[in-house]
Amino acid sequence: MQKIPLMLAKAGMTIARDVFRGDSPIGIPICGKGTLLTDSLIARFDNMDVQSIYVEGHPVWEEGERSFDDILHELDGRFIKTLQEPLNAMLYDIYKSYLIKSMGGDSDRQAE
Amino acid sequence: MTDKRSDLKKIIMDTKTLPTLPGVIQKLNTLSDNDKSSVQEMAKIVSSDQVLSARILRLANSPSYGFYRVSTISNAMILLGVNVVKSLALSSSIFAIMEKDSVGLWEHSLGVGVAANLIARKLGLPECEEIATAGLLHDIGKVIIPLKCSEAEKTIQKLIYERQIFTMEAEREIIDTDHAEVGGWLSKSWFLPDKLSEPIAFHHDVAKSENHRIKTAVVHIADVLIKASGFGNSGDCFVPSIQKIAWDALKLNEQLLAELVDEVEDKLVEVKNFSLEMMSE
Repeated sequence: MQKIPLMLAKAGMTIARDVFRGDSPIGIPICGKGTLLTDSLIARFDNMDVQSIYVEGHPVWEEGERSFDDILHELDGRFIKTLQEPLNAMLYDIYKSYLIKSMGGDSDRQAE
Repeated sequence: MTDKRSDLKKIIMDTKTLPTLPGVIQKLNTLSDNDKSSVQEMAKIVSSDQVLSARILRLANSPSYGFYRVSTISNAMILLGVNVVKSLALSSSIFAIMEKDSVGLWEHSLGVGVAANLIARKLGLPECEEIATAGLLHDIGKVIIPLKCSEAEKTIQKLIYERQIFTMEAEREIIDTDHAEVGGWLSKSWFLPDKLSEPIAFHHDVAKSENHRIKTAVVHIADVLIKASGFGNSGDCFVPSIQKIAWDALKLNEQLLAELVDEVEDKLVEVKNFSLEMMSE
């Protein structure tokens, strides 16, 4: 499951969580999970101010084909100057485990 | 104060307008043409853009209006009225020449605004909206430096790239000041309230903030989080040090930080959608 910006949603993806109106996120769902996305459905979500949706699998990869290793490598690059400081090292570890959690590890990518 | 620095300060004090993103202006114009659109919708667009927000706050705080220091976008819009905001947006389109590579800075500013809001709410701080606005405006100095000294900006960019240093270090070397100080000058000359100008001026040096240290600390941490996530582009790609004084002022701990990372990343997906929408206009 991946949370994606609505602008990147494409017909053929499957909704993984109920979709709510953008202005009332705890109201009645406007579309149930398991529904196959179509162009008209995406347009309707847009009209209802939906900003993001959860879809099955991990269909959207930012900026082309960045692998999990690349993403971790970029994280290392951003922290290169400040990793020796304890608070920054803590933030680095938190981000690293966040990324591992959100990407479902490297194996998920291989499987697709 | 050296010559270079005082010259620049004088130029900045005279600055009346800044360019903003064409997409934001277009969206606002479309909204203002539509009878069905609400003030809330317009406020949402305005508060997504650091430059337009700064201009509206400047107008609301100008002595000719005589209001007592306005620090939130929604209050400024209510006080000025929709028509004034409309004409301000229209007049902005003349200056709407911000280049494509400014999109990164705009995304960074929007991201820090959103993160600052999340941190403030999570910690139960008062005046969340002010803190979010301060986050949105924190890098306004980076908008003005390329505009007022385009030659120096090229050297700064070159320096960051060649020596892999922080934007601030390069700025200090070339123009003898930095974007935080420049942003502080601008917010002073535009009569923005202290609760906005202090976080803008001291987001890289929280200890210097005397009256609004908590707000400054939130903006500092929000900036660090957004740099860590790699969202947008603020000049260099390096995560700054988390300042102990900010960490202590907010009474943060590892668990809170981990929750904040989760929440910020979750929200950034929506921010990304917004920015994709803006760019496609």
